[in-house]
Amino acid sequence: MTSSRTWRYAAPFVIAVIVAILPLVVTDRFLLKVFTFAGVNALVVVGLSLLFGYAGQVSLGHAAFVGIGAYAAAYCTVQLHWPWILGFVAAGAVSALGGLVLAVPSLRLKGYYLAVATLGFGELMALSFKEAEPVTGGVDGFTGIPYPALGPFELRTASSLYWLVWGIVGVALLIAWNTSSLRPGRAMRALHGSELGAQASGVDVVGVKVRTFVMSAVIAGLAGALYAGVVGFVSPSVFTLSASVTFMAMAVIGGTGSLAGPLLAAVLLTLLQYFDALIPGIPRSTSQALQEYREDIYALAIILVVIFAPRGLGGLWRRRDRGGGEEVRQ
Amino acid sequence: MSELLQFLIAGLKNGCIYALVALGFTVVFAATRAINFAQGEFFMLGGMLGVAFWQLGLPLPLAAVAAVAATAAIGALFELLAVRPIKDGDPLRIIIVTIGGAVLLRQLTLHFLGPDERPLDAFSAGASFKVWGAAIERQTVWIWAVTVVSVAVLAILYRRTAFGKAMRATAIRRDAARLVGVNVSLMVTASFAIAAGLGAVAGITVTPLTQTVFSVGAGMGVKGFAAAVLGGLGDPVGAVCGGLLLGLLEALVAGYIDPVYKDAVAMVVLLLVLFVRPQGILGGSGREKL
Repeated sequence: MTSSRTWRYAAPFVIAVIVAILPLVVTDRFLLKVFTFAGVNALVVVGLSLLFGYAGQVSLGHAAFVGIGAYAAAYCTVQLHWPWILGFVAAGAVSALGGLVLAVPSLRLKGYYLAVATLGFGELMALSFKEAEPVTGGVDGFTGIPYPALGPFELRTASSLYWLVWGIVGVALLIAWNTSSLRPGRAMRALHGSELGAQASGVDVVGVKVRTFVMSAVIAGLAGALYAGVVGFVSPSVFTLSASVTFMAMAVIGGTGSLAGPLLAAVLLTLLQYFDALIPGIPRSTSQALQEYREDIYALAIILVVIFAPRGLGGLWRRRDRGGGEEVRQ
Repeated sequence: MSELLQFLIAGLKNGCIYALVALGFTVVFAATRAINFAQGEFFMLGGMLGVAFWQLGLPLPLAAVAAVAATAAIGALFELLAVRPIKDGDPLRIIIVTIGGAVLLRQLTLHFLGPDERPLDAFSAGASFKVWGAAIERQTVWIWAVTVVSVAVLAILYRRTAFGKAMRATAIRRDAARLVGVNVSLMVTASFAIAAGLGAVAGITVTPLTQTVFSVGAGMGVKGFAAAVLGGLGDPVGAVCGGLLLGLLEALVAGYIDPVYKDAVAMVVLLLVLFVRPQGILGGSGREKL
């Protein structure tokens, strides 16, 4: 039992070290880029799982926030020639504003209005990215977005971009873990259990939900800014409903009340998209079929997880933990 | 004057479609307290299946009826396979399952019927009617007629039959309905079948004017839901009024301001109603409000 407890405390550090030294082991630039994308997705999903797993709300518009962040960063750096870090901050600020506009009306109400409001918002933003040509560059989008830079240091190598993205994932995880295990997290969990009960115990139900949603929107916006810096261009074809559903799938499959589960799901489902790069010998037809049926797989996975394992990957993990605990008690 | 009339005609045409989709949301919401994200896909299936049956050689009326029946069956099957296994009936879990179901239905349609836009002949051929300088396409008249008939059938079903009373009892209070012998889970399955059928009716009747493609579901879902919220979610009369009103608003915005903003109207209406009057324009005390 002691060894398993030690392992539980040590695991985050071991995983952090593995993630940190990965670029030293993996030298293939494309592969490293895939892992960087996994980090960007993981960032979005960390925010989303705070919303879903802790506050019990669904968003179908997070790709729009990623898009808002990406376009804000692109506009600030390319058109206004701001330094990268200011563009990054602007991306977060603009997403916060968008999140607030959506959250306040739809979260004041009981029920799941936010889900549809975000769906509509996502469609609306997807349209705006295409139509608002003076700001977004229309269908062609933005090209020539500069690499992220901190002061005079420009991060242009694959491994430095990887470290930047995963470093920010680490910071986001710390913040998310703090919020979820301290007072705001207890409030969120109380909310998930019984909204009425939480309210009776003095939890500002609406406030907690709104703050959680805005926080997840900001995280998604920052992920968008990172995405723009890593890829170097943004186009409206990326920030679609299907991307939002993919993020939601990662959060649902990852599970409620856990951060490790969603993180794992985000990485695994991202790698699934680049299956052929990870396993070089794979037949072309197989990887094509995987690509073609990717959304089907996600959708089916969501349905199966909700029916058979409503607490997701994170839940499976903990159930085993609890089983161990009971053995000890006997 | 004739210009305004033309806009109003267009608005009432789209409004009827939104009303049917909104009714679908309302029926499922009443039975489960959940938002059915697959509702827009039922609209898409109605059109796509109808065109597919028609292209296989079925006469148009038969193809339309078959498409509605098939979509209703798919709705019932979806409920049996994915919603019923959720034992606690938690609305959040039902919502997520319907999100998965929506994607799955869209993707399966893509795999089986392909990515192309598909046209359909009008239900009856002939020139448009002229009324005070405005033109009314024959298919528009069909849309109005089909909507009126659907709403009337639904009203009779809900008000006059034992089945309808059981549906309403389930909507008012599940456990109480179960206590008096209503088969509640059958009612939930029926609500999905009816919602799917309503969506399919809208999908097949509008396709001759707009064509259809596998991806039209999500956009229509948002508009139908906005209409349902505008009228007060859970209220069938409100759903119809909300649909018509949304259609008129869109037509006026597109006509007098700029057609680019047409698709934004539903979203703005949705947020405004949630902000100002969450119980909808017809709602009384706002039961769902905090």
